[in-house]
Amino acid sequence: MATVFFSSELIKFTGEEQVEVKARDYRALIDELVTRFENLDKAQMMEMAISIDGLILVDPLFEAIEEESEIHFFYFVTGG
Amino acid sequence: MPVIDYKVPQSVDDAVSLLEANENAKILAGGTDLIIQSRAQSSPDLVVVDLKSLPDFVSANINSEGLSLGPSMSCAEFTAREDIKSLFPGLVEAAFLIGSTQVQGRASIGGNLCNASPAADTIPALMVNNALCVIQGPKGERRVSVEDFVTGVASNCMAKNELLKAILVATPASRTSDAYLRFIPRSEMDIAVAGAAVSVTLETDGTCSKAIVAIGAVAPTAILVDAAAKALIGSKLDETSLQAAADAASAASNPITDRRGTAEFRRHVVGVLVKRAALIAAKRAGDK
Amino acid sequence: MSEVKEYKYIGQRSIRPDGFEKVTGRANYGSDLNLPGMIWGKILRSPHAHAKILSIDYAKAEALSGVLSIATHDDFPDLPVEAVVAGEGTANLRDLAQNLLADEKVLYHGHAILAVAAISEAIAEKAVNLVEVEYEILKPVLDIREATADDAPILHDDMFTKGLEEVPTVASNVAARTEFRKGDVEVGFADADIIIEREFYTPTVHQGYIEPHATTVSYDESGQSMVWCSTQGHFDVRASTAKLLGLSLNKLKVVASEIGGGFGGKTIVYLEPVAHILSKKSGRPVKMIMSREEVFKGSGPGSATRIWVKIGAKNDGTITAMQSNMSFEAGAFKGSPAMLGGMTIFTPYDVEHMYAECYDVVVNKPKVAAYRAPGAPQAEYAAEMVVSELAAKLDIDPIEFRLQNAAKEGTQTIYGPKMKAVGLVECLEAAKNSPHYQSALKANQGRGIAAGFWFNIGGMSSVTINMNPDGTGTIVEGSPDIGGSRASMQMMAAEATGIAMDKFKPIIADTENVAYNASTGGSRTTFATGMAVIEAGEDIVQQMKERAAAVWNVTAAQVDWIDGVAVNTAAENRLTAAEICAGVGRTGGQISGRANINARGAGPSFAVHVCDVEVDMETGKVDVIRYTAIQDAGKAIHPSYVEGQYQGGAVQGIGWALNEEYVYNEDGILQNPGFLDYRIPLASDLPMIETIIVEVPNAYHPYGVRGVGETGIIPPLAAVAYAVSDAIKAPVTDLPCSPPNVLKIIQSK
Repeated sequence: MATVFFSSELIKFTGEEQVEVKARDYRALIDELVTRFENLDKAQMMEMAISIDGLILVDPLFEAIEEESEIHFFYFVTGG
Repeated sequence: MPVIDYKVPQSVDDAVSLLEANENAKILAGGTDLIIQSRAQSSPDLVVVDLKSLPDFVSANINSEGLSLGPSMSCAEFTAREDIKSLFPGLVEAAFLIGSTQVQGRASIGGNLCNASPAADTIPALMVNNALCVIQGPKGERRVSVEDFVTGVASNCMAKNELLKAILVATPASRTSDAYLRFIPRSEMDIAVAGAAVSVTLETDGTCSKAIVAIGAVAPTAILVDAAAKALIGSKLDETSLQAAADAASAASNPITDRRGTAEFRRHVVGVLVKRAALIAAKRAGDK
Repeated sequence: MSEVKEYKYIGQRSIRPDGFEKVTGRANYGSDLNLPGMIWGKILRSPHAHAKILSIDYAKAEALSGVLSIATHDDFPDLPVEAVVAGEGTANLRDLAQNLLADEKVLYHGHAILAVAAISEAIAEKAVNLVEVEYEILKPVLDIREATADDAPILHDDMFTKGLEEVPTVASNVAARTEFRKGDVEVGFADADIIIEREFYTPTVHQGYIEPHATTVSYDESGQSMVWCSTQGHFDVRASTAKLLGLSLNKLKVVASEIGGGFGGKTIVYLEPVAHILSKKSGRPVKMIMSREEVFKGSGPGSATRIWVKIGAKNDGTITAMQSNMSFEAGAFKGSPAMLGGMTIFTPYDVEHMYAECYDVVVNKPKVAAYRAPGAPQAEYAAEMVVSELAAKLDIDPIEFRLQNAAKEGTQTIYGPKMKAVGLVECLEAAKNSPHYQSALKANQGRGIAAGFWFNIGGMSSVTINMNPDGTGTIVEGSPDIGGSRASMQMMAAEATGIAMDKFKPIIADTENVAYNASTGGSRTTFATGMAVIEAGEDIVQQMKERAAAVWNVTAAQVDWIDGVAVNTAAENRLTAAEICAGVGRTGGQISGRANINARGAGPSFAVHVCDVEVDMETGKVDVIRYTAIQDAGKAIHPSYVEGQYQGGAVQGIGWALNEEYVYNEDGILQNPGFLDYRIPLASDLPMIETIIVEVPNAYHPYGVRGVGETGIIPPLAAVAYAVSDAIKAPVTDLPCSPPNVLKIIQSK
């Protein structure tokens, strides 16, 4: 089971700071999360960047998720 | 740019005639102020009268009486003159502070004086050297002191048909020298937040027998501060007399608060500059 | 730093391929394109900080001989409330259009209202002055305190604070609240032996790029248009302009000129859509150039901030909790980098309990734009000042204190991910061992240490390398070269292919000649576009091997590629890249390598700066007398340009700390829109900035590259201000450390 950590913004919708999720890839992960937490908005979730074990991904879709992966959702960052 | 005509007079009289004949004629010395002002002006179109082709206006001569300075001589040429620097190190350092190296290729002491900015660097330095302004008009020549020449913010005593022909500075008495300091937040390319020029004459025992103090950028015009000079005279420029001079300068100042500094800051700093300039001038006078 | 790779090309200090054009003045910048029939556009700007526009009468301007077109807000189509890429994230399209040409209200001194195009600059300017605008003047709000006061005038009637627990019913100048939390700060503070809290202020500052915004736009009757402009990202100029004007992307070709600095400020559009309107209406190419005054008044500055910080530590030097409440000015429209402030403020530290609240506040000043690590310099300034003060109070060396609490591999950040390998500890060690840190100070001198963190980003880059019949090649990329990236691309192409650097010519293609590239920003270009160059280079190598194999009638697997030469060891055959390229007609046509990527795994860059100052105790003047910038590059592709970024960031940050600030009068009129009174540092103000490049490779880049462009501006604010504090022996909280401000602290001691 991979562990998903929610930002303080997302905790408002999930009520939980972290959850265990079984998902093969990013797409399956999003589907699982929006099913489990009906307050989560799928479009808004997909706008966020994620990190899978520290690898930061913007616009993910099919990235594989390992059994022991740690996943964080966070705001997309640009720069100057 | 609203400059509609550019005139190069062949003589001083020619220049005066041009001033008389053209309502909107302006003398161009180096142009470092005039060109910028003309861009900002939505007002009348300018006739520019450039005096740089007249040799007397762009040269400086030293004789037994002192320095006769052409008002359009560039600061770069002026500050490169070792003979002038040895006589008036404070005046030269004031000229050396105007603008930047590039600007000094054009900027002139006459222009700095006629433009009469409250923050002009050379004006306090000219004042402590008792400089005289030679003004030419249609009816001849007259001479006025620098403090009488500058009458207000960006205004001078000359009539529409007069021009500054020369600046005369008498050779300093023995064991007399000057210094000029200004405060800016950076190292160059800036305009004085406060400025101070001091001239002192020392006895052989180091007692100050004569002093002149002028401050700039802290009032509508540069001003002579007699009380500060008095505080120095008779002393050996010890901390107490220096502080008294500083306090007198601060008290005499009448600064404004603007983007370059607060009134409170300027009032304080002008005193600090007077103290420091007095010590430099004294060191120079003592070395003579 | 586990394995040290040997490189043949990268790491050298090669001559930049664009150097000759630039030193001879032949390079073409934003204002350099002139077209036949071209006319000039000028903008009318608001003389007021806050006013309703009651009427605009431009009949006299239109009637002036030589005036060919006029643009107002009405020329924009109805726009959806939709996000477009702009600066530090996204901006609302409607806001963007209102910023380009005001609609019903002017919201800052210098806000553009109308534009005129005429056959000469002088006529356009004259026409602008003939426009009559009737205003109802409103009271301006000029800082965070005024904007959040109970009776504050409201800039936008339809703006309600986002992110509050309860949905607000009253419009506010606070656009949004965001928070970041880790652990429980109350628990952490209860554990602390010492707690320091302070509030800090930083003023509005401008990026100060030397080249003003400039563009030439040409629209033709077939509906095609060309935009030439100085920008950090021509693809994003295309996107914004097309969306604002309702155009499809293939109608709009955007060409990036050479660029004289951007620092985040050239990631958004100001002139291009307006010039497009003027060109379409007049049927002529239109050139627009901002004056320096317009750049200050009308283009995006960096946010002014008020930031409260509270940090607790144990006597043994362990930081137990870090908390902040920060407000960032957004300017006239929402969208400050407040959130980025919250994400970065405490990230140099591995501390269990952290909490940051961030507020985005609108005021009657120009809309802020990204400025080099947007949000981080202000936020980390506040945190670093308190960290340094804590170290002093605990009598622990400030570098040791930071080492004891430093973020490292595995550290949980406040914004989400855990850190991979990062170089903060290595930077701190390098600082500690530097000759600078070991030198002694004299009277009236002080020293400041500060760390800095910035994320860096990846994103989309597209590169094609076209090989020529003689074995040379053209690297076709789409990232405007601001800091010497052409040289880096050339070096990485050479490293990836084994073909010598000078065989490759890098070019920045326009939007029609290369696929989409994200802007040069976020310290991404050498990392992301570099990654695409490497991938395109590897593509070429693969094709070269296949062609050689075809010539030798073997499989590609039997061909080795060594230093740009195909080798079939079994048969002792060799074919150089040039030989292969000369014979491509027989082996399947021309060779070009291609990569279209969305670069992943950007690696954060940490920096540590050491600053010594000397303070004139009688005037408050601060002189920086020695300065060392230490930063983790991951891998420095071109060390001279990496050092240039460190030095440039340090100098901009020093300016921010010492003298730079927007000065407004009480009516909200900007008093210093020029380099005379907006004082960026001069070369003569500063010592040579010493640099130390630390290299802790980024595991996700083939050569270990992290970005280096932004982090360098973060530490200087606190390094300088704390050094001043140290010299005058009194705390500094408000920037800038200008002489009047510093003297006031000295005198009130």
